[in-house]
Amino acid sequence: MSHGHDNPILHPEVQMASVRGYFTGFLISLLLMLAATAMVSSHAFPPFGLLLVITICAAVSIIAQIYFLLHLDISEHNIWNTVSLVLFIPLFILTIGLTWWMFSQLYLRTMPMMPGMGMH
Amino acid sequence: MSAHNSPDPKTATLWDTHYHGHDVISTRTFGYFLYLLSDGMLFATLFAAYGVLSYSHSYYNGPTPADFVHPWYTFTQTVALFLSVLAYGMGMSALKKGSKAGVMNGLIAAFVLGAVFLGLDIHDMMDLAAHGVTVQTSGGASAFIVLTQTHAAHIFFGLIWIVVMMFQVMSKGFTTDTVGRLLTLRMFWHLQAIIWVFVYVFVYLWGYMS
Repeated sequence: MSHGHDNPILHPEVQMASVRGYFTGFLISLLLMLAATAMVSSHAFPPFGLLLVITICAAVSIIAQIYFLLHLDISEHNIWNTVSLVLFIPLFILTIGLTWWMFSQLYLRTMPMMPGMGMH
Repeated sequence: MSAHNSPDPKTATLWDTHYHGHDVISTRTFGYFLYLLSDGMLFATLFAAYGVLSYSHSYYNGPTPADFVHPWYTFTQTVALFLSVLAYGMGMSALKKGSKAGVMNGLIAAFVLGAVFLGLDIHDMMDLAAHGVTVQTSGGASAFIVLTQTHAAHIFFGLIWIVVMMFQVMSKGFTTDTVGRLLTLRMFWHLQAIIWVFVYVFVYLWGYMS
């Protein structure tokens, strides 16, 4: 991670900014969010299909932002940021997923199920 | 165990005398990136709380996000935040050329658009309160409001930081410290847009369609 530039402007993290990259990331995310909003507000698909489609929109949008905006890749300069993000992702998913799973099982066994009471 | 390849202890050098020291900017940005990932874990716990409190019984027969979320209103917030991030990016492209005016324009545009995002969010929360949806309404409403407003609080502190950077760029110019801070603010601002994608899709849109 040593580069030894005296002028901070020449630092690789400054120099990796690119107008085209920022516009690409912006357009991809904005169009995906537009598509997700249009589909949800018009109830274009049955709920499960809709959830699947907007999850894909969110995932592609996030990957585009991480790549084009944060410039995370496997280059020598960025590899440790990428490694720490990759190690972070399972923690993030497990924290949300296991908590949600535990409580859904708890509700299933402790709540009297009324009609229309499932997952909101 | 032969000592065939061992260096002579009397002449061995323990470290590289040509070592130029840490790259100050990279050391700081990497440390800040790790902090941002731990900030991501804060959001993970709030998403988990929202997940377990978004069942219909969590709303205690009160209003649910399907009643109080307006997808197109919140979409304008998304546009404002993404444009703010784009404006900051344009400022960083100007930094690449050492243009102080370009950086200032980028920071000002990012600030204004971020303030628009926050203004729309505050208006939305006032509207919810006027319709009787507050943190006291139900567990589901609490989880919804705490999660979305934690994100809004990040935007608020980001706006303060942008103002501070405007003053520092004006008064100190592009020193190692200010350039490093512009880079860490860039990561912070981009991360807020990434977290907003989660908040928008899985809290606003999914809440609305459920």
